[in-house]
Amino acid sequence: MSEYIKKSIWVFHLNTGSCNACDIEILDALTPYFDAERLGVKLVVSPRHADALLLTGPITYESLPKVIRAIEAVPRPRFILALGSCAVGGGIWHDTYSTIGGVPELLKILKNRGIEVDGVYYVPGCPIRPEALIYAVGILKGILQKKVKMRVRKAIA
Amino acid sequence: MSEDKPATSRSTILKALEIALKTGRVTRKYPFAEPLITDEFRGRIEIDEEKCIGCGACVLACPPNALELIEENGQRMIKYFIGRCIYCWRCIDVCPVNAIRGTRDFELATDNIDDLVDIVVHDMVKCSSCGSAFMTIRQKIYVIKKAPLTENYIDKDPKCRREKTLNALLKRRGGVMKYE
Repeated sequence: MSEYIKKSIWVFHLNTGSCNACDIEILDALTPYFDAERLGVKLVVSPRHADALLLTGPITYESLPKVIRAIEAVPRPRFILALGSCAVGGGIWHDTYSTIGGVPELLKILKNRGIEVDGVYYVPGCPIRPEALIYAVGILKGILQKKVKMRVRKAIA
Repeated sequence: MSEDKPATSRSTILKALEIALKTGRVTRKYPFAEPLITDEFRGRIEIDEEKCIGCGACVLACPPNALELIEENGQRMIKYFIGRCIYCWRCIDVCPVNAIRGTRDFELATDNIDDLVDIVVHDMVKCSSCGSAFMTIRQKIYVIKKAPLTENYIDKDPKCRREKTLNALLKRRGGVMKYE
């Protein structure tokens, strides 16, 4: 949960080379059936109006300068919602020549350039379910609690 | 004619209202109610550390390398990174001991990427001649159970085993060469 976000979050949809499956699920989450607007999520047309970026795709080298410009344009406090396996860990493209391999690599580049991001929320799924996006928004707004936790287990022979 | 127009529009509105009333409310109340998932839905996998033998078949089958095999300090780790998984469930098909189970779990959103890591640690067997770790203890037990004849040579790693076989073969042929 973030202490900065007190009102509705407005989101900007940023495709960085994804296969469009996650993009379709985002639109599905905004239809009356799942209706993310119940939680105040509104799709805006410019990153200058947005609180959070819905980032899909593994971030290709071609799209990287545009992604950095879009993130710079978002006013502080700015958040990134990394949607889908490609954005979270590179997915099936994690070691290809043309992608940087997800948001963790992007954050290193942003740190070198001195661009700050106030929070990153990772939403795995291939593609994400519309409910998974609503769940992530719930965590961002502090309505819900996260369920996953790092586990190290020992197999006793 | 102009007097008819309001009547038709009124009937259209009534028709639309009738459809709307018949359909009712369609919005899912998801965060406060059950999600819409079916039996066909594939979520994250769950590795059973009681059954897993650490053979690495799932690691070979995994298309995006979400499952990784890390060997260090005489231990073998099977690392499952949920953030890269594409939920194809191929690992479930190839697992020889059915240690991997598929779940319907999709509520995996988090603000810390380390939460998405799941590691199973195995102890390894050391080679009796060179001392290098080459297979897990559970894997050895499994192999002996499946093929009892292997018990004679399973305590050596594949490299030492090859060396021993070739040297024995050369000795029998009367040669003095030594395979390195």
